[in-house]
Amino acid sequence: MCFRNLPVEFDSSGTPFLKGGIPDPYNTATNIVSSDSRKPLTHDKIKELLARNGYIKNVDFDPVTRVAGALAFHAVADLKERKIIDVNSMATLFRGYEIIMVGRDPMDAIFITSRACGVCGGVHSTCAALAMEMTFGITPPPLGVVVRNLMLAMEFLYDHPLHLFLLAGPDYSETIVKSTNPEIWEKAQTAEAPGAATHGYRTMAALMTDLNPLSGKLYIEALQMTRVAREAYVVLGGKYPHPETIVPGGVSTTVTPTTFNLYYSRLSRLFDYSKKMVAIWDDITEFFYSCNPLYRQVGARTPSMIDVGIWDDPDAYDTTYKNCNEWGERRWATPGAVVDGELKTTKLQAINLGLEEFIDHSYYEGWDGQRFPNDPLGAPLSPYHPWNKVTKPKPTGQNWREKYTWSTAPRWDRMVTEAGAYARLWITAAAQKIPQNSFLESTGSSMKILVPRGELPETEMEWKIPSDWNAFERNRGRAYAFAYTCMVAMNDFQRAMKLLKQGETKVSTKFEIPKRGTQIGVGFWGAGRGYLTHHMVVENGAVANYQIITPSTINAAPRDPWGHTGAYEQAVLNTPILESFSSKEDYKGIDILRTIRSFDPCMPCTTHMYVEGSDRVVTREVNTCACGVE
Amino acid sequence: MRTLVAIVGYRNLSDFSVGPVLLPALQAVEWGPGVDVDDLSYGPIAVVQNLEDRPLYDRMIFLSAVVRDRVPGKVYRRRFDATPRTEEEIQARIEEAVTGVIDLDNLLVIAQHFRVLAPEVVTIEVEPLERESGESFSAEVSAILPGILELVRTEANGGSTSSTVH
Repeated sequence: MCFRNLPVEFDSSGTPFLKGGIPDPYNTATNIVSSDSRKPLTHDKIKELLARNGYIKNVDFDPVTRVAGALAFHAVADLKERKIIDVNSMATLFRGYEIIMVGRDPMDAIFITSRACGVCGGVHSTCAALAMEMTFGITPPPLGVVVRNLMLAMEFLYDHPLHLFLLAGPDYSETIVKSTNPEIWEKAQTAEAPGAATHGYRTMAALMTDLNPLSGKLYIEALQMTRVAREAYVVLGGKYPHPETIVPGGVSTTVTPTTFNLYYSRLSRLFDYSKKMVAIWDDITEFFYSCNPLYRQVGARTPSMIDVGIWDDPDAYDTTYKNCNEWGERRWATPGAVVDGELKTTKLQAINLGLEEFIDHSYYEGWDGQRFPNDPLGAPLSPYHPWNKVTKPKPTGQNWREKYTWSTAPRWDRMVTEAGAYARLWITAAAQKIPQNSFLESTGSSMKILVPRGELPETEMEWKIPSDWNAFERNRGRAYAFAYTCMVAMNDFQRAMKLLKQGETKVSTKFEIPKRGTQIGVGFWGAGRGYLTHHMVVENGAVANYQIITPSTINAAPRDPWGHTGAYEQAVLNTPILESFSSKEDYKGIDILRTIRSFDPCMPCTTHMYVEGSDRVVTREVNTCACGVE
Repeated sequence: MRTLVAIVGYRNLSDFSVGPVLLPALQAVEWGPGVDVDDLSYGPIAVVQNLEDRPLYDRMIFLSAVVRDRVPGKVYRRRFDATPRTEEEIQARIEEAVTGVIDLDNLLVIAQHFRVLAPEVVTIEVEPLERESGESFSAEVSAILPGILELVRTEANGGSTSSTVH
């Protein structure tokens, strides 16, 4: 059974239908089944504890640093019991792309929505192009699909090292660990690093020293590696970020064998880097577990994840919603929804039907009516589905009981899921649908990745679906996702060369946007941080509705109508306080920060925002990257 | 003598876009030998890597709009303060740089850290008045555009000492 909570069932041929006999099938007053077992204390109880007990402390990170954009996080920590008793994740900016897009030429979506993020420089334009391909029936030629895959693989190869070594990495560095857990630093002096032959560090202390920001070699190396990936992207896409060569029906770039060889010369430099990255994050993870098994609880959640897949098979992708289940399952990353560790579906239609976006604790007001009771295949859609949603911003004072964030609460089957590069890896490993190839094997419980020889020997690595799901496994998963992405690119490189050899040079398809009638479509794609969809409704040649759901919208979500906390909130709530501190003034909150950063948050940037009725002010003024909120 | 004339800024952001809007005019100037004109309105880390590939410049002149709470709608000339920044500040600016922020101060601090700045760095800064999204300047900034170009040209040709020009 695909859905636990939504009133949708499937007949014997797999066709979804609305359960009969339910008067108001999508009523949110209905109870739901959820694995979100641990709930925060009530606000009245917390208020009382704060007033009564000196060891109950408000812990506010505003902004949370070393994340992309403006995220604030409020927690209440019980420093005596060493646990977190309340949490609120706050996206502090209204994104507004949904409103900007209404009434515009659909082609504008590529250039405008691209600016939703300054770090995910090409994913939104590509997702917008895919949405248009489905909306208007534009099928790209095989080489256009492959070039797009190559570009987007390289974008993730740019993105993952940034997170692992510049944003999350410092949390495990000598500088931080010495001050938050000196006992661990002490152990690191003599702890041998099992991956020394690959990464070159004999002890964990040496490795952690090179994770130091600014001075650490791993920090500097990551900056240098971004250049390699950026150059490879630009060879194909002409520009990064915000490429101008992404179009519906393919890409508007000229490719030759030389272009692909220039790309490969950079890709191959990343092979050894992937081996090193995996060895480093394996060692960090296992070292912390060995220091204290409770680190398995830092950032822990029941593994419930969502992804819509990415990197199309040019032989399967026909852009249609009708065939989305088939072409979706042929992607290099399989679409899927995992609930409590169990893969519930790999069908894009079911994933789409299960989507809802709630605004009960967000600065929006509700909308009336339901424009699309069914998807294009006649299956039931919720009134809270993105095709039905209307964005109506309504800023109010911040109130933990009521509204406290600009992020909405996207849910799948009314359950809290999380998105990430690791979700992509997990679902693909579990699904066993990855196309036959020489470098990647999905076993059902792991992903085997064969990385060719560079200066380091050919290496077969295996990412196993972890028994514990926590902050460390998110980072480890992202490191393996880097190697996996390298090999997706390698497969696509080989496919590109084969297509050229067959005389294929066409990379785009001509198209016209109809000026009459209503059309709908959706771009199912991914960002470095995971899941990405753009739902589009076009009327008489202009955008009538445009809804973007990003990975950080999913992860940073607030509570939903049933009071269930979002993914960041859940993960922090489950985090034990393992930091060493002598007084509450000395407490730094490293375990909370490791948890939040493990999701690789990518939040709104343009801030300088004062929330009326509260004392919260975000003081940094920046101008791009708003993919976490709307 | 090698001189870099560079603009930094976002497009379609009213007065904030003074650099990108004036770039074509700067490129059309017949500069003397050794003067390069470039658009550095992209990630500061990528800019650093770009500059690392070139021989070090003797002088750099950056044109941008920057909020420093001065009289708005005027242009200011500043000599870059090369006092070393704290590690925390540099790290924070790199974090912003790699997550997509384009900003003159971020660029200068990061470029200084990675030792790609010229010995002499001058910034020509417009204090913006109109800060909303849009293609047009405020009347005040529109009125001083010729003066801004002239100031950049003067700087590139040897320099000025005045701190407020228009």
